[in-house]
Amino acid sequence: MRGFGIWAIRFYLALLLLFLYLPIVVMVLLAFNQSPLYELPIVWDTVWFQSLVHNDRLIRAGLNSVGLALANTLIATVLGTMTAIAFARYSFRGKALLELMLFPPITIPWLIIGTSMLIFFFWIGIGRGLHAMLLGHVALSMPYVIMVVGARLKGHGSALEEAAATLGASPWQAFWRVSLPVMAPGVVAASLFAFAVSFDQFVISYFLAPPGVSTLPVEIYAAIRKGFTPEINAISTIIILFSMGLMLLFARLYRFGGER
Amino acid sequence: MSTVDVIGAVKRYGRVAALDEVSICFGDGEFFGLIGPSGSGKTTLLRAIAGFADLDAGEIRIDKQPVGDRPPHKRDIGMVFQNYALFPHLTVFENVAFGLSVRGRPKETMRKDVGAMLDLVRLSGFEARKPRQLSGGQQQRVALARALVTRPRVLLLDEPLGALDKRLRQEMQIELRLIQREVGITTIFVTHDQEEALTLSDRIAIFNEGKVVQIGAPGEVYERPRSAFAAGFLGDANLFQGAVLDARGVEIGGLGILRTADTLPAPGTHVSLAVRPEKIQVWVEGLATPGADLNRFKGRVQRAVYAGTNLTYKIEVGAHLVTVFEQNRAAHPLPVGTAVNVGWLPVHSVLVAA
Amino acid sequence: MRHRRACAFRFSGGGYRMMQEARRRVAIGFLTAPAYVWLTVTVLLPLSAMLFFSFLTVAPIGGREAQFTPEHYLTFVDKEFYRTLTWRSLRLGFDVTLACVLIGYPAALALAKYVRGRWREAIFLLIVLPFWSNALVRTFSWTMVLREGGFLDRAIHWFSPDAPPFSMLFTYPAIVLGLVHSFLPYVILTCYISLEAIDDSLLEAARSLGANALQMFLRVMLPLSLPGLFAGVILTFIPVIGSFMEPRILGGRAGIMLGTVIEDQFTTVFNWPRGAALSFIMLGIVLLIFAASAPLLRGRLKGL
Repeated sequence: MRGFGIWAIRFYLALLLLFLYLPIVVMVLLAFNQSPLYELPIVWDTVWFQSLVHNDRLIRAGLNSVGLALANTLIATVLGTMTAIAFARYSFRGKALLELMLFPPITIPWLIIGTSMLIFFFWIGIGRGLHAMLLGHVALSMPYVIMVVGARLKGHGSALEEAAATLGASPWQAFWRVSLPVMAPGVVAASLFAFAVSFDQFVISYFLAPPGVSTLPVEIYAAIRKGFTPEINAISTIIILFSMGLMLLFARLYRFGGER
Repeated sequence: MSTVDVIGAVKRYGRVAALDEVSICFGDGEFFGLIGPSGSGKTTLLRAIAGFADLDAGEIRIDKQPVGDRPPHKRDIGMVFQNYALFPHLTVFENVAFGLSVRGRPKETMRKDVGAMLDLVRLSGFEARKPRQLSGGQQQRVALARALVTRPRVLLLDEPLGALDKRLRQEMQIELRLIQREVGITTIFVTHDQEEALTLSDRIAIFNEGKVVQIGAPGEVYERPRSAFAAGFLGDANLFQGAVLDARGVEIGGLGILRTADTLPAPGTHVSLAVRPEKIQVWVEGLATPGADLNRFKGRVQRAVYAGTNLTYKIEVGAHLVTVFEQNRAAHPLPVGTAVNVGWLPVHSVLVAA
Repeated sequence: MRHRRACAFRFSGGGYRMMQEARRRVAIGFLTAPAYVWLTVTVLLPLSAMLFFSFLTVAPIGGREAQFTPEHYLTFVDKEFYRTLTWRSLRLGFDVTLACVLIGYPAALALAKYVRGRWREAIFLLIVLPFWSNALVRTFSWTMVLREGGFLDRAIHWFSPDAPPFSMLFTYPAIVLGLVHSFLPYVILTCYISLEAIDDSLLEAARSLGANALQMFLRVMLPLSLPGLFAGVILTFIPVIGSFMEPRILGGRAGIMLGTVIEDQFTTVFNWPRGAALSFIMLGIVLLIFAASAPLLRGRLKGL
């Protein structure tokens, strides 16, 4: 491509990246700004981060978020991996139905999923709370886990398990010594995904949060609606850097663990 | 050192019969080749012997014992897959030792046996490498070593050399045969490369549409095909059809009378005769003619293909286009349009079923 | 055949196969039952419950009696307010999706065909990363930029100090901006996957047959990348029409959409049956869109 063209492309992509990162950068900078009201110039200070430590509500919400995400990761990864194995190795009646049921969490607006869960859980008496949120988060994470693990399984077909069988390994031995290790990078990557999905989840948590119990995103939303405090900036900065770091890890793992 | 008997094997996928009453007895220590077009059933049979495909009818016996109710991991076989199926997360040593470690052999035994096997396939020193660090030929040898180290009763090979380039394939063919002779194991292998089947096998079986078309030693199957399909699949064949004239001749429309050494049915019956291109001689009118007892016809060169070591002619003889295969002795092909004679011994006119 | 005489015995073995089949069923059941149950409880049953609710007068909780009525659906059809609302939400979806496609497709094209090597991987990662960060926090960060006293305001004043204070917050464009920011990486991702899968040899073949760059693009690239484009469009449009968080935070009173009204029914007004009915109407719209685009997506969604 001729000189001008290539530079036009670079310029365009640079503008795009600028657009994507502008608000994030601004927010991070302001989190470190001493002034609570946007005054320039930026005076470097970590006062807002320090005051976070004393904010009990936020800390409790943070712990809820992390605990919820960990529980979600465990359950969604196990359930999703089992389902992915079933999808890859067998064809069975009801497979189409199951695949169909996996669609809604990622395709229909989470508003609808969240409100329908709220209705249903109240009706059958489960009510709101962390347990309800867990139910919702796992349903949301499962499709992603299945996608990631499924992709890894497809790459290494059933030939490996057959080879293990010809060498004398019983199905159980073949699973432990061949299938599982080969699947492992995919499962780990999927679990990171699941963690991120739960940790960042807002809509479902919002509807299923009873008064007094909330997760970090829900807490931040309430704070935003009430009025701006720079503490929100600080906690947001932490969250966003954490989430992005997690995804970076996922990208690394998915690429290199997957011998493409 | 085992025998494998396949008796009346039937395997259906929906309405299609992948195996249609197949019966073969594989002898002890034999190197047996299964060939045929795609979908003819040869791979299905291999997998059925391995235990990955269940038969709808019929039986498979190893050492005279039926194995139908034994899962693959209890059949004591060794198998080399088309894409080798090496375990990517294990080293070469661990791959080869897998079968032994699954059976709980002690470490010392494993080290000795694996070492000996890697020696046999000439990969000593590669123990610590991972499969993705090996070339295609090396991976293939690791797969072979892995299959053999447990001293299985039967070795199954599924198009083992398919992914290699020509030179490497030829080298590996020789090595494979040497290793098999040395170990003495009954080997069944599937290939679509006819040349490979002919050079390696003690016996071959030609498959078509789920049935075995012919079984025998390579020479026998090649020189005396029993059907037009066998004649055409294994190498090339010129096919002539006509009515039986007498005990030794067949009247071919647009050609003349073809003499054969085979026993012919009653006069008037319609038969097919196959003649291999390399059995036909070509000589120019007027020059010294070879022996008297030949089937001899006049023709004209329509095309000549020069391939270095050999020449392929398409010769118009009467209403037929005959393919002739000649060694390149004269250094240049006969020009197109030359009037020639073609001839072959009656024994090379083979009676085949249509 | 000579050999058949030697091996002349036929026998068919059945017991092992039946056991194998049973084992297979157990394995499938074990592997998939948990997921089945979980999804039924969290997706299938709730949606059914919501459908049921939408026909009640009040939420039958706390011992209240409820009767069946189609009034909520009728209200939707009657009141002009709801129709305007739906139209606004659809409009929002359309605006955001259009902007994402116009900005994102060229970027995906550039990445797929004109940037190579390490740069491509790095830029791709950078583009997709924000997509996986917390949506709420991302939206919040836009308020830092758009509000009075925010980044934009300061930037404008830096250029012309006498300008009046500028705030884009609580306007419709702000909502569009925030949503585009959220979904742009997704559209780029799906378009990129489609475009990258187009074999270069196809493009070279087109060129060799005499097509200039524009023709090659219109006749080869665009049609082949349509599946990815469609996927991105639909998976952007649908969440956008259901959004309420972004319209509220960035739009305030200008951000009243179907999504925010539904949210109100559940959190402030407590008219759950009405909320359920409105949700179902939204679901209906979503399913309509899917049904309309299914034939286009079905055959070609393999790679995704």
